[in-house]
Amino acid sequence: MRTSSIKRLVAIALLAMMAVVTVGCGEEEKGPFRIGVMESVTGAGETYGTVAVQAKQLAVDEINAAGGIDGRMLELVVEDSKCNAQDAITAYNKLTDVDEVKIILGTSCSGAMLGAAPLAEREGVVMFSGLATNPDIAEAGDYIFRTSLSDATVGVDTGNVLWADGIRNLATINESTDYAEGVRRTTTAQFEKLGGQIVAAESYPSDTTDFRTQLTKILNASPDALHIAAQAEASGGTIIKQVRELGYDGPIYADVVPIGTTALEIAGEAATGVKAITPDLDPANAKAQEVLAAFRAEYDYVTLPWFLGSAYDNVYITAECLKQTGDDQDADGFRDCMYDITWSGTIGVNYSFDEKGEVVGLSNAVLEVLPVAERTEENGGYRVLGAAPTS
Amino acid sequence: MSIVTGALRNVRDVARDPRSWWQRSKGNIELWANLIVLGWALVFMLWRGGGFAITVGSVFAIWAILAVSLNLVVGYAGLLSVGHIGFLGIGAYTTAVLTSHASYEQLRTEAIPTFGWPFFAALPFSVLLAGVVALVVGVAFNRFRDDIYVLVSFGFAVIAFTTFLSWRNLTRGAFGIHEIARPAIGPWVFDGELEFLALLLVFLGLVVLIAWLIVTSSFGRVLTAIREDEQAIQVFGYRTTHYKLAIWVISAMIAGLAGALLASWSTFIDPNSFVLLESVLLVSIVILGGLASIWGSLLGALAFVMLEEGMRFVPFLPSEFIGQIRQVILGILLVLLMLFRPQGLVGRFKL
Repeated sequence: MRTSSIKRLVAIALLAMMAVVTVGCGEEEKGPFRIGVMESVTGAGETYGTVAVQAKQLAVDEINAAGGIDGRMLELVVEDSKCNAQDAITAYNKLTDVDEVKIILGTSCSGAMLGAAPLAEREGVVMFSGLATNPDIAEAGDYIFRTSLSDATVGVDTGNVLWADGIRNLATINESTDYAEGVRRTTTAQFEKLGGQIVAAESYPSDTTDFRTQLTKILNASPDALHIAAQAEASGGTIIKQVRELGYDGPIYADVVPIGTTALEIAGEAATGVKAITPDLDPANAKAQEVLAAFRAEYDYVTLPWFLGSAYDNVYITAECLKQTGDDQDADGFRDCMYDITWSGTIGVNYSFDEKGEVVGLSNAVLEVLPVAERTEENGGYRVLGAAPTS
Repeated sequence: MSIVTGALRNVRDVARDPRSWWQRSKGNIELWANLIVLGWALVFMLWRGGGFAITVGSVFAIWAILAVSLNLVVGYAGLLSVGHIGFLGIGAYTTAVLTSHASYEQLRTEAIPTFGWPFFAALPFSVLLAGVVALVVGVAFNRFRDDIYVLVSFGFAVIAFTTFLSWRNLTRGAFGIHEIARPAIGPWVFDGELEFLALLLVFLGLVVLIAWLIVTSSFGRVLTAIREDEQAIQVFGYRTTHYKLAIWVISAMIAGLAGALLASWSTFIDPNSFVLLESVLLVSIVILGGLASIWGSLLGALAFVMLEEGMRFVPFLPSEFIGQIRQVILGILLVLLMLFRPQGLVGRFKL
């Protein structure tokens, strides 16, 4: 009897496999437009990847509910690229070889983007990211686009803000990741160019939880201000909390991460008055508020609103270009459309792409964290002071 | 090798007398482990065919080289090391730095030294440097064994990772190095994925051959004896520290080779590829496949890669949780496997 039960098992397994294969090769022509999505939904950068996938899914659902693109639905094929080059390469090859997509939205991690970008450039596949900010991506090729602002622009603007606020002696602390390191490097360069002086510079590996030694060292150099560049919200929030506990009462500047929802929860009242230089949604932009409300209604939370909006806009830009080319296999037509397009959406009005595939027409804003009593889910715990000054 | 002759004998027996073969083999878990993993790999290749199978094959080849190298240390000599990812990194970074070209703009503007060597010139240096580092740390490591060995090798992995991250003038720190050269013999460049897979398989074959020569030699038998009872073999006059150091260095050199191949395959590396977690995965592959079995390491690497990549095709998952669910399933499968088969798929010896 044992033999027959094994036979039955094998038969069931084979049937199941056949079912999967048949499902896979359904619909022929006039099926949906298929677009790949690669995000770091596990590992470091998980928050960004998850928000990006959810925002994209939201946009796709909206488009499809409104009748699709000229009657054809839009379909996402989601893959996990984790946060490193090797996993991005396998995810990329899976999307292009198995799912045969020619347009990939992603990735949220710069390291993953830089791993897959050379392949995409060589094989003529479009990669379009809303979140990767490493300056090196500008040089990655003709098929590589992004709506996220390069860290270089964040750094330059931060340097300008510091100088305009009368800071002359600056201390920096940064997480040792490509993003945070890039922000620190460009901030420092711009600040020194303007005549400022760096009196202390510390860095820490991801997953550090105690910063008191490094912060004490920094405070001994008695800086006018402290700049924090973090990749993980937990570390950003903890640094703010611990530096205040050590008795520092000077101004704190940061990139976007240390004012994220989780970071503010950790830092509590200590974060009040912290200034962050980052791209942010314009409170006067009705479209942006609409998207945030829709996202909250769908997923019950909102975090990293600008990145969320960026990922959301990516889908609409993609839909517009697909409408023009009418073919999801035509990467060259799609690329040309991207170079020509001018878009107004969640993250700004009338923005476009330059010859490197970098976004132009968007700018960073200066944000200030509110006291705990005034923080609400809607305002994210901060107010927008205005656009960063240009030099 | 006995594996091959064993497989051939099985095929012959099935053909001659299926019924009695079944009677003899149905309790043979090893045989079934082999058939299931290889069968799944074959189905996967036919099913998902072409390009993606090549990528998966390349990932497998790199993991397999690493797994064989680690098995020499863990399985044969009984030294549980979680530091091999460090040697992988040393090999990868050596190749990346030595092959880096001045035409790559960022390197020039950041005043990072460039050498512009071809891949096959950088390869021996990657292997050698991994060996030299292994020799230096190995002299210290030799004073430890068992659980303490895990801790010191853990320390080594952390130091290696931090070095890659912090030595910015050479490694570009967290930015990583791009545009790493693909291997070339004369005018013939291995830039196609299929050619690169062939190259990887040639190296894998070479590594398996070296490992097989080691474990079947008298040197290999001394290693096994050290694993079973180090003091007993010392009584017979063997300087066990020399043996342990030798296998440690050889194993590190093979890991360095894997690193060089990895760097050239992915053309981009950053410290994120050499985190401790990858080392733990590597140890799991070796244990999953079976300690003290070269074939086990190959099978373990294949099973692991097939599980991980095969998981991409689990249907009907909501797209927001796709990655997380896969990792949970992978974890559960590994736990179940260890519960019911603690010696690994084809292993003979438990930790």
